[in-house]
Amino acid sequence: MLEARDLTKFFGEVRALNALSVRIGAGESLCLLGANGAGKTTTINLFLAFVEPTSGSALVNGHDVQLDPIGSKRHLAYIPEQVALYPSLTGLENLEFLAELSGHRDHRTDDLLGFLERAGLDAPAALRGVAGYSKGMRQKVAIAAALARRASAFLLDEPLSGLDPAAANEFTEVLADLRRDGAAILLATHDIFRAMELGTTIGIMKSGELVERLDPGSVTGAELEKIYLESMRGGAAGAGGGPA
Amino acid sequence: MIRAIARKELVQYWRDGRVVTVFGIVALLGLAATVTGWSAVSAMERERASAVAMDREIWDTQGLKNPHTAAHFSRYAFQPTFNLAVFDPGLNDYVGNAIWLEAHYRDPAALRPVEDAVEIQRIAQLNPAWVIQVFGPLLIFILLYGAVAAERESGTLRQLLAAGMRPVSLLLGKAVSAFSLTGLLVFGVLLGSAFLMSAEGIERLPDTGLRTAALAALYLVYLAIFVFLALGVSALSSRSRTALAGLMGIWIVATILGPRIGPDVAGALAPAPSAPEFAARLDREGADPFWGAGEEAVQRRQRVMDAALAEYGVETVEELPINYDGYLLQASEEFANGVFDTMYAELWGGYERQHAIARGFALVSPTIAAQNVSMALAGTGLHAYRHFADQAEEFRREFVLLLNQEMIDHGGADGYAYVSGNDFWRQNPDFEYAAPGIGEAVRGVWADVIILLLWLAIAIAVAALGVRRGFLGEVAA
Repeated sequence: MLEARDLTKFFGEVRALNALSVRIGAGESLCLLGANGAGKTTTINLFLAFVEPTSGSALVNGHDVQLDPIGSKRHLAYIPEQVALYPSLTGLENLEFLAELSGHRDHRTDDLLGFLERAGLDAPAALRGVAGYSKGMRQKVAIAAALARRASAFLLDEPLSGLDPAAANEFTEVLADLRRDGAAILLATHDIFRAMELGTTIGIMKSGELVERLDPGSVTGAELEKIYLESMRGGAAGAGGGPA
Repeated sequence: MIRAIARKELVQYWRDGRVVTVFGIVALLGLAATVTGWSAVSAMERERASAVAMDREIWDTQGLKNPHTAAHFSRYAFQPTFNLAVFDPGLNDYVGNAIWLEAHYRDPAALRPVEDAVEIQRIAQLNPAWVIQVFGPLLIFILLYGAVAAERESGTLRQLLAAGMRPVSLLLGKAVSAFSLTGLLVFGVLLGSAFLMSAEGIERLPDTGLRTAALAALYLVYLAIFVFLALGVSALSSRSRTALAGLMGIWIVATILGPRIGPDVAGALAPAPSAPEFAARLDREGADPFWGAGEEAVQRRQRVMDAALAEYGVETVEELPINYDGYLLQASEEFANGVFDTMYAELWGGYERQHAIARGFALVSPTIAAQNVSMALAGTGLHAYRHFADQAEEFRREFVLLLNQEMIDHGGADGYAYVSGNDFWRQNPDFEYAAPGIGEAVRGVWADVIILLLWLAIAIAVAALGVRRGFLGEVAA
């Protein structure tokens, strides 16, 4: 479960996030749309305890991330736009290392290969050095790492940018599976249609504020695009939707 | 977590051709230096054994000669080149291992190189200790300059921290991996040296086992300093290139410039007398006030005569039951010995001042402190040389006394005409050097040990600062 309570962040005089309050429960996903600088990444950084909030709090599975940064990350998975791996190691070795870091030293090689398989990376690919991996393959390793550490909360920062349609589709399906299995997902993206596919709630951010919360079942893709563009111009369309 | 990071690092090192190449080159240098050191020590020991035998043979077969004349002809005191010189020859090549023992004179010839001792410490020698002192830090810096900075550049740092990794765990994991490799180098070189040190014909220093263990501990502390410095600088640098440049600067100052400039400054601030100048003064002040034609010398000789006459209760020299010439010669020895003690105390004091000034540079170069401790443990430093020189001088005095006493007791009225033969020479003892134990050997380098520990504390503080500042600044980006 991911929860923000009046989460606010100022960088000097600049307001990056203003009184964000959201709650993403098990099996729910909040897809945040917004222009660059809208506050999406700041929100994720606050959940990761990479920055201190000016006020308010962020909680992961009930752990305040500032008070218990290590405990809050125990079941948290973070997948950035560019997943960075160690190029001289294979996909399997990278996964083994990431799993060990989170205290899961008990996984056998078969288990790890199983996680990679579930994330969409077959064994021959997993045994190759990641120096030759595509962006999509790297993200699969990150997903496998999340599976290996039994993550129940996911923070994804523009993971779909630059993926080809097939890879983006595959990735979205894996995330949808994770959500169905009970994961809480916060996804920052520019991709309206993937947000429609994956989100149980869609949020639109502007200048550090969550200006819209939408139920993807209540709007079409075209309507969402219109609302998004209008909100970017200045006004909020107010198409409804309850709190996430 | 630390184990996982260390293991991952070691795998990466192994697969990184550059690391393997650099480590291989340094290991080869260490091996070459070890073999070279063993070869040099073996050769010196063979030469010493041959010289000792020749010196004895010449002494024993010199034939009929006045004992005091023989004292002028005299003998050599040889210092063994001990086993640990294979690892760290220190100043051995420069101070020499033989002192000529003669009457009326504490021979400064063997001291000549020592007069430049502080300066000569700067000269690079290919020996195992030097390879570790200079290339150990270089290897560490090459391994660790990107420890944090490169993780930051590649984006892995952000992900590791997001995964709940503690910054201190990353640093310790990296430290363990770099320490494993460099520790392997230290133990490899020490074990190689120990194996070769046990070769036949090389004399063992007292407490060799303890000294070797202390050397291992010394170099682990020394390398730990550079490990923590590298981690701190890497964490505080925005880019790995910046970290590398900074660390190369530290390496040059610590291992190249510091050990070179320190002794230069020490030599300039506390100059030692030149060898000819010191020798001339020694000769002049040891002999003239006793044997000269001046009033002071005449009175001094008169006092000796008065003492002899009083001691034996006679009125004239001719009535003395001893050889008075021998008596006078021994009196002149004792006078000169006092002069030598004063002059050498001044000389050694000068060296100590130079050493203290040079040691001050250890505050910018831990290599200087490590070199001092290493030489002390290996028995090849200035203090070890002084120990030998003092023991040789003590033997010289006893030996000259033995010869003079022979003349005094048996020369009667023959004066300088009295002669002894080979039977007497064969009874005379050899000089046998007794090296000090480890306690005495390290007595002069406690300040260096403290400086090294201070450096370790500073390096850990820099790494801690890197954890505190370097990581926090990054992740918010």
